[in-house]
Amino acid sequence: MIRICNLAKYYETGAPALTNINLNVSKGEFVYITGPSGAGKSTLLRLLFCGTSPTRGQILVNGRNITRMSASQIPYLRRQLGVVFQDFKLIQTRTLMENVAFPLEVQGIRRQEVAKRVFRALQMVKLEKYLKKYPLEISGGEQQRVAIARALVTDPLVLLADEPTGNLDDQTTLEIMELFKSANARGTTVIMATHNLELIRRHPRRVVVLKGGKIVEDHDTPLSMTASAGQVERSLDS
Amino acid sequence: MMLAKMLYFFKGAWRNICQCPLLCLAAVGTVAVSLMMVAFFGVIFFNFAQLTSHWGQQVQLKIFLEKAPDDTLLAEWRRKIEACPEVESVNLVSSAEALERFRKRLGKKADLLEGLGADLLPASLEIGLKAPYRNRSGVAAVAETLRQHKEFSDIRHGGEWLNRFDSLVSLLKLAAVILGGFLLFATIFMIANTIKLTLYARRDELEIMTLVGGTSLFIKMPYIIEGAIQGLLGGLLAVGGAYLIFRTFLHDNLVTLLMTMGVGEVMFLPSGFQWGLVSAGMLLGVLGSLPPLRKFVRMRA
Ligand SMILES: Nc1ncnc2c1ncn2[C@@H]1O[C@H](COP(=O)(O)OP(=O)(O)O)[C@@H](O)[C@H]1O
Ligand SMILES: [Mg+2]
Repeated sequence: MIRICNLAKYYETGAPALTNINLNVSKGEFVYITGPSGAGKSTLLRLLFCGTSPTRGQILVNGRNITRMSASQIPYLRRQLGVVFQDFKLIQTRTLMENVAFPLEVQGIRRQEVAKRVFRALQMVKLEKYLKKYPLEISGGEQQRVAIARALVTDPLVLLADEPTGNLDDQTTLEIMELFKSANARGTTVIMATHNLELIRRHPRRVVVLKGGKIVEDHDTPLSMTASAGQVERSLDS
Repeated sequence: MMLAKMLYFFKGAWRNICQCPLLCLAAVGTVAVSLMMVAFFGVIFFNFAQLTSHWGQQVQLKIFLEKAPDDTLLAEWRRKIEACPEVESVNLVSSAEALERFRKRLGKKADLLEGLGADLLPASLEIGLKAPYRNRSGVAAVAETLRQHKEFSDIRHGGEWLNRFDSLVSLLKLAAVILGGFLLFATIFMIANTIKLTLYARRDELEIMTLVGGTSLFIKMPYIIEGAIQGLLGGLLAVGGAYLIFRTFLHDNLVTLLMTMGVGEVMFLPSGFQWGLVSAGMLLGVLGSLPPLRKFVRMRA
C-alpha cells in the first residue's frame, strides 16, 4: 500500500527533519509511528498526504508515485486518504453534519447520498444525535470522534492520524482507539503517530520508532505487549 | 449536476457575505467609489465629444462684413461666390438678425442683452454648400477659393478651430485611459486587500478544505463569486449614484455651460458605457480575489 524509499526532508530552517527513511506498509496494516518530540513523525505523515514536498526520495501510495505529483493531482490523492490531527481541525462555523459532509461534497456526490453517508459515519462514532450542533458545543473527545467520522466517511484506503489522542483523557483515548481498530478491521490501513507508550502497550501493533529523523526500530511482527513496549522505551531512552 | 454545483458555490458566497458584512461593504464601496469617478469623467467626456460632432455637422462658412452692402454690391458678391461649384446658397444676415438669433439661443438669459445696441454683432454672409461638400474639407476648400478675392478676406469657418478641439478631445481620451487604468489597478489592489482579510479569517477552513480533497478551483469558486457579486453591486451603485448626482448637481451646470456653446441637450452616459461600468465592476471583483486566493489556497505548505 505504501512504499517509502530513501526519503529525506530538510526544512529551510533548522536541522534535517527526516534522513534516509525506508518503510513499507502493507494493505490493512496498523502501524504506530512513535519517537520523541521533534523526531519527524508529523513530517512523515505530512509527506504522505503531500502537505509538503520531500527533499529526496520516493513515496508510492497504492502503486502511485506521489512525490512528483502536480498540485492539481493532490486533491485526488487526498480523497483516498483520511487525516486526523491532534487539534481536530473542525470548522467552527459549520455544524457537525456539515463538517462530516465536506469530503463528500468536494467530490460532487449527490446530496441524498451525502446525507445518508454522513448519518452513517456519525452513527459509527455514536454522535448521530448531535447532527446540528457546532464543534464548540461538544467536548474535545466528541470533536475528535467527529473528525474521525469525517476522515472515514469516504471509506479511505489509508487513515493517517497525527497524535489523535494527544489532547484527550484516558477514557476518551480508549474510545478513539476502538474506532481506529474497527476501521482497521474493516480493511483500512492505519498509520498513527503517537508518543503515548501506554497506548501502544495496551493495543499492541507494529511499531516504527523515529529518532532524530531516522528509523531506529521497526517491530514488524506483533510482539507481546510488554516486550514491544519495553524495547520501544529502551530505544527511546538510549 | 452542474446546477447543483453552481448552487453550492452561490450558497457558499452568500454565507461568506453574511459572515463578514462589513468587509463585504468595504469591497463594494471601493468598487463603487472608483467606478463613480470613471463615470463622472465619462459624463464630461461624452458631452464634449457630442459637442464636436454637433459642431462638425453645423460647420459653415461665414464672411463677416464691416457694414451691410447695398443691393448692387451684394448682387456682385453673390455672383462671385456662386461661381464656386460647391456653393448652393448665399444668405445675408443683418446685424439685427444676428442679434435676434443670439437672443433666442440665450433663451431665459436673454435679458443679459437688454440695453445693448442693435449693431452689437456684425452683419455677415452665410454660405451654404451643396450636400456632398457639407463637411470640413469641403468648407476648407471653398474658403480657400474665396479668400483669393480681397473683399472676402474676413472669411471664417469652424474647421481649423474644430481640428484643434478634436486634438483636445483625443488628449482628454488619453488622460481618461491613463487615469482610468491607474484607478482600476488601485481598485484591484484595494479589493485584494479586503478579500485578504476575509481569507485570513477563514484560513483554517481553507486549509481543511484542501486536506479533505477539495480541488483548488472548487475551494476558490465561492470566493470568486463573492468578488463578482461585490463588484457587480459596486458597479450598479456607481452608475446609480453617478446618475443621481448627475441629475441633482451636474446636469444644470453642464446645460448652462454647453448651451452657450450651441448644444441644447446634455446627456448621461450612453447605455453601453453603463453596462461596461457594471461589467468592469464584476471583473474588478474577480481579479481582486485571485491574488489573495492564490496565497491562501495552497495544496503544499
Ligand atoms: N514547518 C516547519 N518548518 C521548519 N522546521 C520544521 C517544520 N515542521 C517541523 N520542523 C522541524 O522538523 C523536525 C521534526 O518535526 P516534526 O515532524 O513536527 O516532529 P514530531 O512530530 O515528531 O514532533 C523538528 O526539528 C521541527 O522543529
Ligand atoms: Mg508532531
